[in-house]
Amino acid sequence: MTSNAGPSRHAPWALLFLGLLVVGLVVWALRLSGGGEPEGVRATLSAAQAIAGGDTAGFARATEVRDYVFPRDHGPHPEYRTEWWYLTGNLEDEDGRPWGFQVTFFRNSVTPDVPERRSAWSTNQTWMAHFALVDIDAGRHVHGERFSRGAAGLAGGQAEPFRVWLEDWELAGGEEEFFPLRLRATHGEASMDLRLEEGHPMVRQGDRGLSQKGPDPGNASHYLTWPRMPVEGRVQMGDRDVRVTGQGWMDREWSTSALGEEHVGWDWFSIQLDDGRNLMFFELRRDDGLPDPLNHGSVSGPGGLVRTLGAGDVEIQVLDTWASPLDGAEYPSGWQVEIPSEGLSFQVTPRLRDQEMNTSFRYWEGAVLVEGDSSEGPVSGVGYVELTGYGEDAGTRESAPGSGMAPG
Amino acid sequence: MSLRFKASSRTLLQHPWHLLLTILGVALGVAITVALDLAIESSREAFRVSTETVTGRSTHQVLGGPTGLPDTLPAILRVEGGLREVAPVLEGWAVHTDDQGRPLRLLGIDPLAEAAFRPFLAGGPAADADGTLLMARAGSVFLGRELADRLQVDTGDPLPLVVAGRSATLSVVGVLAPEDDWSRQGLRDLLVVDVSEAQELLDEEGRLHRIDLILPDDGGPELEARIEALLPPGARLEPAGARDATMAQMTRAFDLNLTALSLLGLVFGVFLIYNTMTFSVVRRRRLLGTLRALGVTRSQVVRGILLEALVLGVAGAVLGVLLGTVLGRGLVQLVTRTINDLYFVVSVEGLDLPVAVLLRGGLLGVAAAVLASLPPAREAAGVSPREALTRSTVESRVRRLVPVAAVAGGLLLALGGILLGFTERSLGAAFAGLFAILLGMALVVPAASVAILRLLRPVLRRGIGILGAMAARGVETSLSRTAPALAALVIAVSVTVGLGVMIQSFRGSVVQWLDVTLQADVYVSPPGTVSARAEGRLPAGLDRQARELEGVRGVSTYRGTEFLTQWGMTRLVALGLDPAGESGLDLLGRIGPPGEVLEAFRDGEVLLVSEPMAFRHGIEPGDTLRIPGDVGTLALPVGAVFRDFGSDMSTIMVGRVAYDRHWDDPDLTSLGLFLEGGVHPDTIAEALRALAGGESPLQVRSNLELRELTMEVFDRTFEVTRVLRLLAFLVAFVGVLSALMALQLERVRELGVLRANGMTPRQTWGLVTAQTGLMGLVAGLLALPAGLLLAWVMIHVVNRRSFGWTLELDAGGALLWQSLVLALLGALLAGIYPSWRMSRTSPAEALREE
Repeated sequence: MTSNAGPSRHAPWALLFLGLLVVGLVVWALRLSGGGEPEGVRATLSAAQAIAGGDTAGFARATEVRDYVFPRDHGPHPEYRTEWWYLTGNLEDEDGRPWGFQVTFFRNSVTPDVPERRSAWSTNQTWMAHFALVDIDAGRHVHGERFSRGAAGLAGGQAEPFRVWLEDWELAGGEEEFFPLRLRATHGEASMDLRLEEGHPMVRQGDRGLSQKGPDPGNASHYLTWPRMPVEGRVQMGDRDVRVTGQGWMDREWSTSALGEEHVGWDWFSIQLDDGRNLMFFELRRDDGLPDPLNHGSVSGPGGLVRTLGAGDVEIQVLDTWASPLDGAEYPSGWQVEIPSEGLSFQVTPRLRDQEMNTSFRYWEGAVLVEGDSSEGPVSGVGYVELTGYGEDAGTRESAPGSGMAPG
Repeated sequence: MSLRFKASSRTLLQHPWHLLLTILGVALGVAITVALDLAIESSREAFRVSTETVTGRSTHQVLGGPTGLPDTLPAILRVEGGLREVAPVLEGWAVHTDDQGRPLRLLGIDPLAEAAFRPFLAGGPAADADGTLLMARAGSVFLGRELADRLQVDTGDPLPLVVAGRSATLSVVGVLAPEDDWSRQGLRDLLVVDVSEAQELLDEEGRLHRIDLILPDDGGPELEARIEALLPPGARLEPAGARDATMAQMTRAFDLNLTALSLLGLVFGVFLIYNTMTFSVVRRRRLLGTLRALGVTRSQVVRGILLEALVLGVAGAVLGVLLGTVLGRGLVQLVTRTINDLYFVVSVEGLDLPVAVLLRGGLLGVAAAVLASLPPAREAAGVSPREALTRSTVESRVRRLVPVAAVAGGLLLALGGILLGFTERSLGAAFAGLFAILLGMALVVPAASVAILRLLRPVLRRGIGILGAMAARGVETSLSRTAPALAALVIAVSVTVGLGVMIQSFRGSVVQWLDVTLQADVYVSPPGTVSARAEGRLPAGLDRQARELEGVRGVSTYRGTEFLTQWGMTRLVALGLDPAGESGLDLLGRIGPPGEVLEAFRDGEVLLVSEPMAFRHGIEPGDTLRIPGDVGTLALPVGAVFRDFGSDMSTIMVGRVAYDRHWDDPDLTSLGLFLEGGVHPDTIAEALRALAGGESPLQVRSNLELRELTMEVFDRTFEVTRVLRLLAFLVAFVGVLSALMALQLERVRELGVLRANGMTPRQTWGLVTAQTGLMGLVAGLLALPAGLLLAWVMIHVVNRRSFGWTLELDAGGALLWQSLVLALLGALLAGIYPSWRMSRTSPAEALREE
């Protein structure tokens, strides 16, 4: 058969037919379909911005000395963006073993206004709580955090009767009175159930309770402290379930302030000396390394006397550092503190090196021992120190609760 | 060797149209399977991605009964249960105002609980999305980057939506941009809102649909027991994904039916390939003879042909895969629309192109091409240097094969019968049987055709004369070419008949069912957002108000909810049956006379189960079913099985009285209103809308409108089947075309002789046309019983096992003779070109081969 006998001369229409079939199918298919191609994208999430700040517009600011009214002011102040109930303490069990604890309830108003909704889940309040229990001799530091919205029974706060809670972590007052407080929290294998008495009367920090944190008016907090609260109760870690007694410290603070742009973190000290004096002082660490004139603190007790410490009154020298096993971030770990106006010179030593809070924003918060001299002779004590801005988020506190938070 | 390849490739290149025809043959077969596979895979994948992304890392889920879960449960689980990872979920569907065809999954979450479950949903600074804003600002929504781009919105923009039939404009407070592909895909159709927002948008205040949990590994049964003790009655703790897996199961039968159709497409594709390859061998017989004379061995010839098939197969497969992806885009829309109508909402954004599916389709095409070339290759190898002998040799061999094939076909038919008759529920066996029957029929066709032709020959001789007899004989004497063409035509037409009869029967049964079921004059439901199924709920008290309307003589109430039970995803319907609507239940098996059953049903003494449920779970009237309720467990005997073409989902119907006994759920999904004579549905519709007020839009449909809508959904459901029916036929048609062309090509010399002996071109044309027409007629005659058999199997076995429905076979109307005409026309059309060409061949040229 030759090629011209083959159908090639005329056959294109067979092909045409097939071609039309194909075209028809394609058209039909296209008619039914849309299109859309995926594209490359970038990164996500940080869980921690749950309590993070934002705009201060519309919130109440701590601009002037407040006329504290209780029990109302024990409860939450949602018109301010940030607020916390901050409890720490050094304890001792019946065998004389030392323990440390920290439980903090953070409240945050995401927006100044409460959304108008019918849903029981509707709220502008978020709560975060941190938990730490340290079995100092065993070298164990169990810690954790929780978040919840302030609705649907998940978390919240009220003044009368006093109660703040996040799920089953709870700080509650008595039916009639604020004190004694009962603190109950469990995290994993660790739990505590503590009763806290008032002890030393409330201290108003800063200027009669108005604690300036930044140069601008309003960059301040309402800051109250119960610096020496007799504590008794139980703590449990693993198999160890013991009765404890000791001294607690509670900070109450609310504000809408942000620290200045220049602040990269802070070191905060709360110390209970065995001569009856309670010290609080903090250093805001600036990116230029200069001492911040806003650093301040207080000396209180015994007998309720309160003296304010200014920026120049406290001299702190780092004696040692400790590297976080997480990423090698270096924290100060041991200080020489001089407060000439109080006649005090002492060393502050962590009771356990690793008391780093590996929470959604990292910081170090730990029990410390104090050993030194006062004008009256040797002095010792216990306390808690908080160090922020050293971990992974150092220098970028946008995602930390700290943007609404300040030392205290 | 090289000479052979050169000769071979030159022939191919000299006949590019033939080359393309072969490639297209492979391509079409591959395209159909690939397209369907892709459509099925994409809809499955879309469902999987969207559910699994949404399931996230949960290990367990707390699922509710008809009323969902109380929204106080998360706090209970956290505080009393001591559980840490507890994420409430409320889901619904929404559409964008300007793109109402594409459903968007509305996911209500608690951003603060999400980090461990679906971190990409919780937002974050880098994602330009603050989860707490979602919670704190009313009307806030997150969406994924892709969706945001598609809807052309960004952070801060308003997003106009329709949710639960109402317009709602949300505000975009964050655009999520997850890093991994998986999350990104899951976000493609997702609107993330706070659980409080979802509750209000979906009118589900106080409720949650489910609670996701991550339970510690060491929790074990004790922890599960502790959790279960905290759950309200009717709620259950399930492993994560159990619900989704059950839902995915729902479409299995549907998917399998589509897959079977795609296989059918491939069968035709294989036939097409076989024909084109045979044609290519036939065309080159002379060349092959020459090569053989030059010393090329048989095995070299076989290898050469197979290699050629391989090359063409690969080219065709590549083209087929490309074509298949284009076709798939259309099919996937059809497939998902059906799934949305019948099962659950799934939103497919474009087509997934899993490499496995493409490869499988491509390889199938290549393998089919090579396998289909084996017989022609063997034939080519049989080409002796003296080529003239071969034709008759081939033909006599084929003729000897005819009875063998018939016996094999008979055995296959028997095997098919056994597969169908001796299995009860296996759908796989049903399809195996169906394919055995199809193949058996194809093998029996040659023998049957010969028999019919012999019967016809005297008639033709008398009617048309010598040419008629010659035409009949011609078909018989070139069985090697005509038999496959006939078989293909028979299969194509019988499948067309079978599917047609099945659809017609189905449609008829549905119409009949609607006649019985749709008794009310007006139907009221909340507007569906995305599917034809009733969803949402009516404003409270509407049934009472409707009853008081003038012109309304009765109201039936309907409350449908879907939840996971021991029978899988189950629809529980609470029916407040008005006496006027009693005849509206199409009861099949029952424990007593209809009147008594219905009375017992209304009094809450018996329940009814749908036919698919009864079939699937072997439930008989009289059996007792138990469903845990909010209050106690509902335990009632099955009073009757009711026909339900609305869904193949397991459906249980209980009287409203019984429902109210066990569930605290006063809501209604729809109403059926019976009107006084002479009252126009529109009047009532207006009155109802006024009652509901602007806040709650209503869908009010007259009996007629609902009937039309139902049939619309029905027709939509079968659109895929119809398209495939057409495609299968087209592929077969192209196969017949090339078979006939091969046949006529081979007969050039024979026709040349006839022409030389005085046959006019017109007569030649007539002869060839008569022959092809005869083939069409024979095919049509054989296809009728074959098609009816297929229809019977599809209706009574495949459909029954797939969906549990019983249908009445309805082969009436124009369908049968239309099919006959189709076969005839198909053959004639396919014969036009070859016969035209033959008639134009000059005798001298045709005989020059001597």
